[in-house]
Amino acid sequence: MTSILEVEQLDTLSSNASSTLTIGGTNTSNVTFKSGVNFSGIIQGITEADQWRLNTSFSGDATPIASNLERVDNASFGYIGTGMSQSSGIFTFPSTGIYKIDFFLQVQRNVADDSQIFGEILVTTDNSSYTAAAYALYGSNYANQRLTVATSYFFDVTNTSTHKVRFDVTSNAGNNTVVGNTDINQTFMNFIRLGDT
Amino acid sequence: MKPENLEDYLVSLHTGQWFGWSDSKNKVYANLIIHDSSKTKPTEQECIDGLAQLQADYDQAIIDREARKASAKAKLEALGLTTEEIKEAFGI
Repeated sequence: MTSILEVEQLDTLSSNASSTLTIGGTNTSNVTFKSGVNFSGIIQGITEADQWRLNTSFSGDATPIASNLERVDNASFGYIGTGMSQSSGIFTFPSTGIYKIDFFLQVQRNVADDSQIFGEILVTTDNSSYTAAAYALYGSNYANQRLTVATSYFFDVTNTSTHKVRFDVTSNAGNNTVVGNTDINQTFMNFIRLGDT
Repeated sequence: MKPENLEDYLVSLHTGQWFGWSDSKNKVYANLIIHDSSKTKPTEQECIDGLAQLQADYDQAIIDREARKASAKAKLEALGLTTEEIKEAFGI
């Protein structure tokens, strides 16, 4: 038996302290909306997406990459939400949630020395001790070779004061250049909030 | 890749993020800033000369490499290998 409730507005009781309106109960397994219904006031999809890059090249190590970072600022660029903030290479999240963090590292080998270069995503949950969460590795024995490596991590940010991320580059030789560019993304980081924590 | 600009020279001077730009969209000497106080800011002339030297070194390295290839090919031909055999076996 189908029953139809036709009303203009659903509202909580004035005595409802939490002001939470619940649709469905113990017998509910599906809620269906008419196809094509438009919603307003509902935050849908991705609420935070940001992209930063290294704007100046350097050679050797950086633990972390602490300077010459900028939010991508090309005329066609856009980001969603508040965006990340950064100080001395320590990135702070705008809100709690599960974040996908990508690190793309472009490296130029200057000498054929068979060295290895690591690009690491390091996270902290106490705003102090950082641990490696993901790393990309580049090793070869060719000089004047430029290559991009990437790594990624899903970070559960339950507290924006304590949960931070940084990006390190280390190598077992100093004969490499991490390529930065202020016009084109070459070494860069993505931050995308996937959902709630 | 051939060194092309001031930043290519600066990267070769020291390791780490010792320098940056007050305006990253305009990477000229006047906008060069030093992040690491233990490093000395090179003069503009040092930068000009240094970049020129890097470019000369790069060009010379290419000339040297081509000369080595030609020399190797000539020695292989002297041993009796054909041009096709040398190309197949050594890629030169």
